[in-house]
Amino acid sequence: MDIDVKKLHPLEVKLLRHVPLGRKFSHEDIMDELGYKVGQCNQAFSWLEAKGLLKEVSRRKRTLYELTEYGVSIGKEGLPAERIFSYLKENGAHTLPEISEALSLEQSDVGSAFGLLSGGKSVRLNEERKAECISSELPGQVKGQRALLDKAKESHLLDEAELTQDEKKTISQMAKKRGALSSPFKLVEKEEIVYEMLPEADEVKKELEKAHITGEEFGLLTPEMLLSGSWKNGTFRPYGVDAPTSRLIPGRTNAYGEYLTWVKDKLTSLGFEEFDGPLVENEFWNGDALFMPQFHAARDIHDVYRIKDPVHVKYIDQPWLDQVAKTHEDGWNTGSRGWGYSFDHEFTRRQVLRSQGTVLSAHQLTKAKVPGKYFGVVRCFRYDQVDATHGADFYQTEGIVLGNDVNLRNLLGLLKMFAEEIAGAEEVKYVPGYFPFTEPSIEVHIKHPKLGWFELGGSGIFRPEVTKALGIDVPVLAWGLGIDRMALMHLGLDDIRELFTPDIEAVRTRRGN
Amino acid sequence: MPKIESSEKLFFSLLGKRMSDDELVDIFPVAKAELDGHDEETIKIELNDTNRPDLWSSAGVARALKTYQSGKIPEYPFFSRKGDEKDSGGRSVIDDESVIGIRDYSIGFAARGCKVTNELLIDLIQSQEKLCSNFGRKRKTIALGIYRSNLIKYPVHYSAVDPDKTKFVPLGMEKELSLREICTEHPKGREYGYIVSDKPLFPYLYDDNNDTLSFPPVINSDRIGAVEVGDEDLFIEISGPILEDLLLTASILSCDMYDMGFEILPCKVHLSKDTKYGRDITVPYYFQDEAECTIDDVEKKLGLKLSADECIKALTRMGVEGRVEGNTIKIKCPPYRNDFLHAVDVIEDIMIGHGLMNFTPVMPSDFTIGRLSKAEEFSRKVKSLMVGLGFQEMIYNYLGSRKEYVERMHVSEENVVFIMNPMSENYEVVRPSVLPSLLESESVSAHAVYPHKIFEIGKTCVKDDSDVSGTVTRNTLGFSVSDNRVGYNEVSSYVNTLMYFLGKEYSLEAVDGDERFIPGRAAYVIYKGVAVGIFGEIHPQVLESWNIEMPTVACEIYIDKILE
Repeated sequence: MDIDVKKLHPLEVKLLRHVPLGRKFSHEDIMDELGYKVGQCNQAFSWLEAKGLLKEVSRRKRTLYELTEYGVSIGKEGLPAERIFSYLKENGAHTLPEISEALSLEQSDVGSAFGLLSGGKSVRLNEERKAECISSELPGQVKGQRALLDKAKESHLLDEAELTQDEKKTISQMAKKRGALSSPFKLVEKEEIVYEMLPEADEVKKELEKAHITGEEFGLLTPEMLLSGSWKNGTFRPYGVDAPTSRLIPGRTNAYGEYLTWVKDKLTSLGFEEFDGPLVENEFWNGDALFMPQFHAARDIHDVYRIKDPVHVKYIDQPWLDQVAKTHEDGWNTGSRGWGYSFDHEFTRRQVLRSQGTVLSAHQLTKAKVPGKYFGVVRCFRYDQVDATHGADFYQTEGIVLGNDVNLRNLLGLLKMFAEEIAGAEEVKYVPGYFPFTEPSIEVHIKHPKLGWFELGGSGIFRPEVTKALGIDVPVLAWGLGIDRMALMHLGLDDIRELFTPDIEAVRTRRGN
Repeated sequence: MPKIESSEKLFFSLLGKRMSDDELVDIFPVAKAELDGHDEETIKIELNDTNRPDLWSSAGVARALKTYQSGKIPEYPFFSRKGDEKDSGGRSVIDDESVIGIRDYSIGFAARGCKVTNELLIDLIQSQEKLCSNFGRKRKTIALGIYRSNLIKYPVHYSAVDPDKTKFVPLGMEKELSLREICTEHPKGREYGYIVSDKPLFPYLYDDNNDTLSFPPVINSDRIGAVEVGDEDLFIEISGPILEDLLLTASILSCDMYDMGFEILPCKVHLSKDTKYGRDITVPYYFQDEAECTIDDVEKKLGLKLSADECIKALTRMGVEGRVEGNTIKIKCPPYRNDFLHAVDVIEDIMIGHGLMNFTPVMPSDFTIGRLSKAEEFSRKVKSLMVGLGFQEMIYNYLGSRKEYVERMHVSEENVVFIMNPMSENYEVVRPSVLPSLLESESVSAHAVYPHKIFEIGKTCVKDDSDVSGTVTRNTLGFSVSDNRVGYNEVSSYVNTLMYFLGKEYSLEAVDGDERFIPGRAAYVIYKGVAVGIFGEIHPQVLESWNIEMPTVACEIYIDKILE
């Protein structure tokens, strides 16, 4: 037998132990005998049926008449016809409105009851148009109705199958299927199903008896049981410990946010201090301070989002503006020959949305300490078609290292540290790269245990045209990490837009690997 | 990043040998190149250095690789320099003064001796495209034309002319059009005509027979300007406003063509005005200055002591001729390059030439203290409280549409920061508030089990005249609750609990006239006399705009303002 009797519900247990093999039973039987409610019967029957312990034998239609509240009340106080008849017997002839007034009955009810009484030759209207008794007996029809009300007094229920032809006829005038509020009976059509236990149930029953499971075991332990000590007088029902659990919706951090937090923690643990800044930047910080010539292809209108209003920042802080402008024009004192063009002082004030995290590294130079290590995980905006690999806005992870003696080999060391600590790289490869603001520039490629070879980030040593113009005389290592790809892998996603999804269910169920 | 496609046949013949894909992948980084694909007969190459236009051609990449591997610097004997003019054989270009302010210069040179094949023509057109569109900013600063030299009667004239009276048959058309008509009727005219169309006169290039070469920077003529497979005599002309860019382009192209087997025929150019190189120069012209760095600089920058000899050897592999003077390394820039702005540029070439794998990584040794920003630390505290209160953290985009941030919120756009050049109307506004983001979640999440309790700590941005930018970026906490029974009291309780545990004493003030909330069911959070947030029951008109069918309450707090 493949049924674990310990997992049976008390409703099943009691039923199994109660019904002998071969007996046919219905809902009503079980409700009477075990005190189950209809719903409990339904549950127990369907569970046992699914387990192959019980089967349906037959079903038949039943027509029942349920006594309504109105039916109960007239059963006690009398039918309108009965009340009118006895009123007339006691108080002599009265007009119909007088009767209606005296008995607090609707005129229409009085009218129809009078119809019944006069039709049955028990009352009549005299010359004064007053009703008066002409018999000491109620009409047979009223007596029939009274008999039915009395019959239903106890159970509030009459089964059509148990009624005589006459009774059936009478009750059909007293009952309605719907809107039965003003009728004494409500007509209910029911299907009665008859069940019996299958032979397997007997085996289960024996198992239950052997295991002393009665179905009367304690369910929930309640404070009352503790207070009264009643728990000592019984046993606890064992639960199916592997039953499916209900869903809980906890308060949670966002899985992507959690990853970014982890990256920030990692960087602070490596001695980096966090920076941040406003979303609205200007061409000066977004490009000029990074020694990108104003005529650079990447600074065209189609590469950066401009702000509609205010179009320009009021001013750029000095001495940075003059120093950067001079550096672009002829190199100033940075040792460079510059770009050799005339710096546009209006263009430089044009406001844009930050297009790269390096902008904040440039800002940081003006307030950095030496030695110093800084980082930011910051939102950037790129003028790109939005698709699976490009978001309208996205996070970049960037930073700088300032030190009197930092050099290329330190940069490689730093990249190696990131590759191992943050990306879990197995192998690291460096190749020359190109960024307008660093020279030399290095790209770091890593072999990731899951993703294989990919470019982890770009880096370099800031050009002296960048650092000197912003007041820094020591070498500055600059780096940026493309952590999106690792974040996607970490979250089991392949579309960058998913990181920022507004879909609550998607975010609720997402977890990091 | 420029990408080129190279005929395998041409590329390997320029390289002087065949290489496998693996070998290419290994060697490409010395040219900051990446192998982007290799199918049948085409090699796809991506070039990362936007300051090295000489690498954007098959010949350029092949030259860099060949030089690196052989350690031999290629020679280009046809360059003139100040005081050393090569024979121009009677070829000349005369720039008329009328072009000043319109498109100041046109220079050129000729080439012959190599039959133009299909691959070669495709390659030349590709170089022309890359140089003009990437380096020449879509022909604005550099436009390049290739012509049939044997049909030209020198000198070639470059003038600014009346755009309505000057007519010729442009390439790809059958009838004569005026220059102005070309700007509207010819596809190239519609693409590039704008560069000159606002000028009173248009640039025009023609030979001594008054035969048209082209209407630079727009289109060639259909005769002299129609180079075909089989041609052997070519004339290359380059126009634009910045002379150095033109000279460099001429140098790059002449070296490429020389590598392909052409003989380069210099051409005298009479410029429209006096320049630092004089008024008459012979093109191709070597104009670059010497650059230098000290051996100490090399060690300081690269962290490795290299001898002068090692530095020179490394430079040679990069095609750069260097010599040592005391402690200084002086270099002669290759004619096709002009990217040595600073000593660091020389040092980078030494680094690549020496081989990056020969520099072992070393950890920086300075001790520094890691630290999160104050805002981040505070945000984490807020976040942990919100999670404890049962909220799900969300992360949203900061760009959205006017519809989402303004219209559906029933707010005025007065303080909203708009983008002047949006790519689409879906991303034209910087988020002024977290509330629309939260409501967007509600609008797409009716399928998710209720209650919905969500929050975000992110940035919002609105206009603010007190800042030089006229805007302010705020770290903002936003949260919302959606459920079939939810109201003001619930959101107020959350605010109260949050502020209690943050240790911030606050008071509330009824909100009047904010259409986002049901009147009489919203409050400002007042901290130290200043409104630092707002919360209440979202107005059904807002919910309706978002198609949200569940009552929602929401709150927004500017956490920078309660940080202190």
